[in-house]
Amino acid sequence: MNLSVLMPVFALMTSLVASVVLFALPERGFRLRTTINLVAAILKIALVGMMIWGVAQGREYEAAFTMVPGVEFVLRADALSMLFAGLSALLWLLTTIYAVGYLEDSPNRSRFFGFFSLCVASTMGIALAGNLFTFFLFYEMLTLSTYPLVVHRGTTKALRAGRNYIIYTLTGGAVLLFAIAWLHGLVGDLRFQEGGYFSDIAPSMQGPLTIIFVLMIVGLGVKAALVPFHGWLPQAMVAPAPVSALLHAVAVVKAGAFGIIRVVFEIYGLEAAKDMGLLAGLSVVAAFTIIYGSTRALYQVDLKRRLAFSTVSQVSYIVLGLCLFGPVGVAGGLVHLVHQGIMKITLFFCAGNYAETLGVHRIDELDGAGKRMPGTSVAFTLGAFGMIGAPPLAGFITKWTMGSGALAVGMDWVVAVLVISSLLNAAYFLPILHRLWFAEQCEPWPHERRWGRLETSAWLLWPPLITAALMLVAGLIANLPFSPLSWAELIVAREVAL
Amino acid sequence: MFASNLLLLLAIILPLASLLLALRPDWQQAYRYCLPLLPLPALLAGLTLGPDASLELPGLLLGGRWGLDELRQVFLVLTATLWLVAGVFAVGYLKVHYLRRFCVFWALTLAGNLGLVMAQDIASFYSFFALMTFAGYGLVVHEGTGEANHAGRVYLAMAVVGEMAILSGLLMAAQQAGSGLLADLPAAVAEADRRWLIMFLLLAGFGVKAGLPLLHFWLPLAHPVAPTPASAVLSGAMIKAGLLGWLVTLPFGEVSLPDWGNALVILGAVGSLGGAVLGVRQRRPKTVLAYSSISQMGLMTLMVGAALANTEYAGPLFAVMALYVLHHGLAKGSLFLSTAMALPAGRGGQWLLWLLIALPGLSLAGLPFTSGAASKLAMKELLKPGNFEFAMAPYLPMLMSAGAVATMLLVWRFLWVQRAAASVGSNPAFMCLGWGLATAGSLVLFWWLPWPGAVPDKAWLATMVHESWSLFWPILVATVIAALAWRSVKQR
Repeated sequence: MNLSVLMPVFALMTSLVASVVLFALPERGFRLRTTINLVAAILKIALVGMMIWGVAQGREYEAAFTMVPGVEFVLRADALSMLFAGLSALLWLLTTIYAVGYLEDSPNRSRFFGFFSLCVASTMGIALAGNLFTFFLFYEMLTLSTYPLVVHRGTTKALRAGRNYIIYTLTGGAVLLFAIAWLHGLVGDLRFQEGGYFSDIAPSMQGPLTIIFVLMIVGLGVKAALVPFHGWLPQAMVAPAPVSALLHAVAVVKAGAFGIIRVVFEIYGLEAAKDMGLLAGLSVVAAFTIIYGSTRALYQVDLKRRLAFSTVSQVSYIVLGLCLFGPVGVAGGLVHLVHQGIMKITLFFCAGNYAETLGVHRIDELDGAGKRMPGTSVAFTLGAFGMIGAPPLAGFITKWTMGSGALAVGMDWVVAVLVISSLLNAAYFLPILHRLWFAEQCEPWPHERRWGRLETSAWLLWPPLITAALMLVAGLIANLPFSPLSWAELIVAREVAL
Repeated sequence: MFASNLLLLLAIILPLASLLLALRPDWQQAYRYCLPLLPLPALLAGLTLGPDASLELPGLLLGGRWGLDELRQVFLVLTATLWLVAGVFAVGYLKVHYLRRFCVFWALTLAGNLGLVMAQDIASFYSFFALMTFAGYGLVVHEGTGEANHAGRVYLAMAVVGEMAILSGLLMAAQQAGSGLLADLPAAVAEADRRWLIMFLLLAGFGVKAGLPLLHFWLPLAHPVAPTPASAVLSGAMIKAGLLGWLVTLPFGEVSLPDWGNALVILGAVGSLGGAVLGVRQRRPKTVLAYSSISQMGLMTLMVGAALANTEYAGPLFAVMALYVLHHGLAKGSLFLSTAMALPAGRGGQWLLWLLIALPGLSLAGLPFTSGAASKLAMKELLKPGNFEFAMAPYLPMLMSAGAVATMLLVWRFLWVQRAAASVGSNPAFMCLGWGLATAGSLVLFWWLPWPGAVPDKAWLATMVHESWSLFWPILVATVIAALAWRSVKQR
């Protein structure tokens, strides 16, 4: 047993073990629980960081064993998995800090943090999965571990949203399972492989493979919130803010998008997927989702719901990027996996802060909040500008890269989609910013809490400040090694080698 | 080398670093006094660094490069000077009301404005342009009145659309050029298959800032409602960012485009004369000045058109435009600042003040021995019909004279409404200083500031005497019209 086998296993175990311990802890052990949470999160960052360093040097980490003949369980760290694992590890730490502050004196914390860790373990598993079977295991585990988080508050509304969520995602999972089984029957167990398998296939296979592809996209598209499978996402807004942050930025929607990336890149292969005409259809769905999500967001009066529809729109940037077939456009899509994550988590943290500190849920209640909560509002402002795609923030890097990529392959209409989406983003974010900074507060806050000298609890304030700073840094130094963009370009260089 | 790099870096970093002063509410008074200091490194860079100073920042964005050339140097000197005098003015002008917020948006807008002048790579340029645009909103809506909010909405809506046009245009141009540097764009645009689309997007996108006719709607709403020092920089410096955008991206000197030249000359003429027609009907001094800016930008659009139409004259016209930018920025800045000045009680003092207010205005109209006369003569020298062959070329001198008449009419209108609006009282020392510096810059300092090399040397005195009639008659015509109009109003 050498270290390279164990690294992915360790990375997965940190949160799995933490989860088991957390379930067992008594409700009152605040300090111990927080310590375990933070130690596990920091340990995981260290492990993932070491793997990122190794992968950059060209190493690969893999642990595999055969479960039943023909079906393998594979954990593997390659450049693509590190993109997602790095994002999850980093944001998990911040979300944990945030969640500790958020749930400071609410009931059922052991249960919450237990499932919370399990959810992150599943995400880690999805990132590190080395074949479709392993991927599917963790994909379903994610569904099951997020359900208790969505319904955490136990209200009727929460239970209804939870039921809806579980119906959507389990159905999606079933479709995905069917597709995986079919594919398994056709070609056997397929490990993810750079460049994919189907570069030269018999014409007779084309039909089944096309159908399988569509089924897989449907199965994964539920979590990735592709229209028309996005219905669960806005409803899941009843979940506590840290859960929303996790759902929207790291875990659930990204699991779907990441799955689509794996299928396109490492099962079908970018070239083959394009030649079979699969990407053209996918690009239309993605483009439609982008516009549709933004348009719906425009009409929401609830802050979290507006952010939710914004997620529907933004996640599809990743999918659209894949369809731009060509190194630059694909890198734009991949890098948005990270960029959307840090931007959206910032916004959700901030929305949670407004709700917790001022009792504000609706956008029209935000008048003058900038003065009361300057730190949170600066973070929100940066997040909003990032979403609009204003430079030099992370969102701009995505948009520029995708735009260049689209032009390079002659898909000029994509630039129009990006522009329309940016305009819509501006239309639904800028009025919020005006309220924050320039409107006068007319009514007292619905439900104000005070935390000493700071605008809100330090546990709640620092995570959005840090993610906002990350978003700025990811944009400013996009050209340096180990920036998200450089990493995405590294992946593309290895995957496509065009 | 090291010193020049440091200076370029500091020019951007200082305004951004000043945001730290916003961390604590009780530092806001200190912040107010720092405002005039923020553009100093940039001014120093503009005055001392050679046109080949540049700074490589390979890790920044998609690969950064900041630096100067002859054109940027003039823009930088103007921008920094104007922000400096407006900053001095602001120290006296500001009230405690939202002081911290004002300082933050001031510093951000300033950083954007200076940065876009110095940026030589596309991503930095677009970043700073966007920073200036969005932070500028904070200055426009500062007063918080319904009118200011309305102006802010219009400003923002048009600015966002403009940003998107710029982004698409830059994307296509960069794709064509296969490069991240602005310097490679003109040649690439000249060869692009979709040249018309790229040019249209860039012209319209930057045209929003430059107040091109039909894209100008935000301008007369936003400039007047902003606090006076902000109006001065909006109209004197920020509006020029649109022009700079055109100059660094469009295919000047690469290919002759008479169609675009004709179109822009017509647009410029419409802006120049139309701005005046709309402007003389306004009742508020700052609105009149805003229309005057539109009118003046019309004249510059005219030159842009001529430069597009004929490759040969693009270079010299750039120099003249730079000179014109310098002249207009300083004069307009001084005029805007003067709108907040209260008149002294004594009659002699009042006369002196009116004279000093009027002189930059007369300079705009081209009064001999002013900066306006210098730039108008240089412009005339180049825009001779013989130099150009496109359809609108023969009308250029006529349009220029008509523009001068229009400008003078606006100046009269401004003085008229300003007289009605002015109050008698005393002014804070910083306001006097800021306005005094702006006026001195327009009337005296102009002659010492670095002139673009291609402008014929300054043997102007003899020429001005020689040309004094041609410079003077439009002023006279406008004065006669103004006097007639005044009489008819009085009789009614």
